[in-house]
Amino acid sequence: MSNVITSLWGRETRVIFRRELKSYFLSPIAYVFGGLFLTVLLFLSAKTSLVHGAPATMQPFFLYLPWLFLIFLPGLTMRLWAEERKLGTIELLLTFPVRTSQVVLGKFGAVVAYLGFILLLTLGLPLTLGAYGSIDWPPVLGQYVASLMFAGSFVAVGMFWSSMTRDQIVALLASIVSLSVLFLLGNPSVIEFFGSNLPLWCAGLLNGISPYKYFLSIARGVFDTRDFIYFTCFCGFFLYANVLVLKARRESKG
Amino acid sequence: MIVMHPSQSNRGSEQGACTARGAAMPLLLHVVLLLLVLGQIVYLASRYRVRIDMTSDKLWTTTASTSKLIGKLEERLIVEAYFSPKENLPLSMSSSRDWADNFLDEITQLGKGRVIVQRFDPNSDAATAKTAGRLGIKPLNLRSQSATSLSVDQHWQGLRLLYGGGKQKVIEAFLPNSSFQAEARVTPKIKEVITGTKRRIGYMEWPARVPRGRQQAIVGWNMVRRLRDLKSRYEFQNFKDEDGALLPADLEVLFLFRPMLLTDRQKYVIDQFVMNGGTLVLFADAVEYQIDSERTFKKVPFTLDAKESAYPLVQQLSHYGVDWQPRLVADMHEIAYKAQFSLVQEYFAVAMRGAAGRAHFTPVAYPYFLHAVNYDWRLSADQLAVDVNGKIDDRKAAHYRKVLVPGMPSDDFLFRGFKKSWNRGPGFYWPTSVGLRERAGGVLDLPDGVEGRVLLWTSPLALVEDPPAGLNPIGLNEGVMSTEHKRFMDGLKDRVIAETRMQVPLMVEVQGDFQSFFVGKDVPKRPSQISAEEDRPKDGDKPGEEVPKSDPNGPQPAKPSESVADNSETAMKSQSASKGRIVVVGDATFLRDDVLGGDYTRMGGPDSGATAMPFFAQMLDWLSDDRDLVDLQSRVPADRTLALVEVSSKTNEDARDTEQALRSKTTRLVALNVLIPSLLLLTFGLLVWRLRRNQKRAFLASLDAA
Repeated sequence: MSNVITSLWGRETRVIFRRELKSYFLSPIAYVFGGLFLTVLLFLSAKTSLVHGAPATMQPFFLYLPWLFLIFLPGLTMRLWAEERKLGTIELLLTFPVRTSQVVLGKFGAVVAYLGFILLLTLGLPLTLGAYGSIDWPPVLGQYVASLMFAGSFVAVGMFWSSMTRDQIVALLASIVSLSVLFLLGNPSVIEFFGSNLPLWCAGLLNGISPYKYFLSIARGVFDTRDFIYFTCFCGFFLYANVLVLKARRESKG
Repeated sequence: MIVMHPSQSNRGSEQGACTARGAAMPLLLHVVLLLLVLGQIVYLASRYRVRIDMTSDKLWTTTASTSKLIGKLEERLIVEAYFSPKENLPLSMSSSRDWADNFLDEITQLGKGRVIVQRFDPNSDAATAKTAGRLGIKPLNLRSQSATSLSVDQHWQGLRLLYGGGKQKVIEAFLPNSSFQAEARVTPKIKEVITGTKRRIGYMEWPARVPRGRQQAIVGWNMVRRLRDLKSRYEFQNFKDEDGALLPADLEVLFLFRPMLLTDRQKYVIDQFVMNGGTLVLFADAVEYQIDSERTFKKVPFTLDAKESAYPLVQQLSHYGVDWQPRLVADMHEIAYKAQFSLVQEYFAVAMRGAAGRAHFTPVAYPYFLHAVNYDWRLSADQLAVDVNGKIDDRKAAHYRKVLVPGMPSDDFLFRGFKKSWNRGPGFYWPTSVGLRERAGGVLDLPDGVEGRVLLWTSPLALVEDPPAGLNPIGLNEGVMSTEHKRFMDGLKDRVIAETRMQVPLMVEVQGDFQSFFVGKDVPKRPSQISAEEDRPKDGDKPGEEVPKSDPNGPQPAKPSESVADNSETAMKSQSASKGRIVVVGDATFLRDDVLGGDYTRMGGPDSGATAMPFFAQMLDWLSDDRDLVDLQSRVPADRTLALVEVSSKTNEDARDTEQALRSKTTRLVALNVLIPSLLLLTFGLLVWRLRRNQKRAFLASLDAA
């Protein structure tokens, strides 16, 4: 097991990770995306949370967060492979003495780390709530972890679509559509609709594949091995699919 | 130059396509297999999972009460869940089903095979629906509407608990909004179905007459006795018998709600109950003030002992070791009377109009409505010992450290939830001082074989007085309310300065081997005996039965068999047959129906429901030492209310100022929370840009130099 982890997150992966992360902060993307994302998210949640007499909870923040991920994340992931292909750097990247899986993991890790940095900047809100009320910190920290995993699952899907096409707009649209479907499948009202039109097992299955359902489960403040295994499997599947696509492309070129 | 024949070219591309198709098939199979394996892993993970509740209040974990009860199961507990399919539920019920399912899963796991959940869908067949209906499970009939149709759908979500073959309990509608609610609903039912019998609790009450419009209404203490969860575990029986029959020997607990006009016979009945080893709980009032819409708080005539009574109740209680001074207590410490979390509940408030024209209640400081606070008052000894020059009087401070005690000294489970959730005891209205009997010099003077303890204390800033005629702090004239209130509070403050600092006991418990109060005294006769003796010389008739008067709004009369005059009454017990117990609480008003029911809340309080009901419910378990549900009852999530501005309880502050301060503070906080992270990010970006520019310049400079 440790060998697998070492090989996946080896020196080569870390090099790719650093290169990608650096590229975010050296381009205006990090600041435009981050600034916009933070402003919208914090404005909406601060307006709802900071109400005199209301409970000191981060619930509104974590209610808006998945929606904003749905809108913003495809914009961040669309360029991951599509731009490399457009600029022709993908060939160079794939000829490096690194495995495709390491390249994919390095890029994935960089986006998640960047999102982690952005989420860190929102810690001011729970601190404010803690200053004026008694906030329950352990679930809040759990919610942040859940958010990062949820974001990771969206990034994995976005990366996959980005690897499928050369056109960033197509990658963006495909990501938005697929993520919306996945997101809505976790919504009780949508499942209610499916429940009345589909067999029960089918509605249950559809609900079971949505990351939103598992996000809500962790976000309430419960650490459940099921949710963590789900997110690992979900991200693992899409990253693996991503590797397969890139390998197939590499072989077709070769 | 090789010229390829078109047919050759086509063949080549067909071959390529075939190769691609051939490569795509295993790839697709690979992906599908992987998906199946991952799906299986997630499925197994959902079956065999480990969950850790990260919330501090353990909101998503069943309490030790449920675990203990499930652990006690000797036979199988079958839970029949009459649930219609979740997918058909409306959104409002869908999350409730999640909670219900979650809780049932948890108790199944806890049961380790002793709890079996069987699910039935009453909507699937008529026979199941009929069975559910017969059991008393009630479906929710909800209307659903589409563009072309309108229908009424039945949604079922009820439970039947079956234990040991015969015993069963039904929860007609199980619609929890949290795992907490699910547990509070099901666990007591599990306890009921396991234990089967209800514990009998006796009571006597003396209802109050309160103004309601132009009429007078009679209000008692029915609401607390009718609490759903209590009713199913305890059977309350009224023993207020006009003829003063002795109480049954098997009665363990007797509540007296605000006794007044007590006859010697009634006192004898109470005395003999204690001698039989019973637990007597007295909710005592020293005075009654009229709470009305105007909040005039006028004193209503109130007498403890009947006119012909030779033995005062106060003297009787003193005989047992309880020192009850029917005097009024006020607590001038702000944390004892201030509304917690800015809610007006439990207090009274004056309606004020804000800048937007919206009416809201401003709490009025009123030290006669108070709480015992969970604070060790010894810690404030130095503060209390500060003299006029602002210096600490060391001698005084040492004295305070010696005499002061914590406000809630007991760690009994009755108080645990209060300490955890509110950090103070229940709210009392115009309470009276009840302590332990003392000799001169403050030395305890309890009867031999009796132990006692004070359970609730005021702060050291308490005042005790004979009840004045009126206690309205704001007057009746709206224009001068602030002035009146200031005058009222100043008067109290002056008294606090002038009087010695003292803590006043508000609740006390004595237990042990008591001696009868009536030793050496004539046993008071029953009214029927007296009238029979009076009638006998005239016509020699046998004493007749006297039917107790029935009050439609008040308590139900005692059963006739127990009120029949019986000349073969057991002889007086002069000594406790087994250890008796007496608990005296210095207030009865806080549990009264009109206060609990929120009759006054709409007019600005008081309403003690939030603390009085759990206090009474926990008291029953505490008295009967039933710890099975204690964790459940003390499981109250901590209050996490945001207090962005300090709301003053002073009436002379303009509510508009508070509103304005709140608005500007909120705007400021929102702006700071939105701007600071973005500015931080921007600053970081500028630093990176500058660093890069310097690096670039240095590089160009090195090129130039080269």
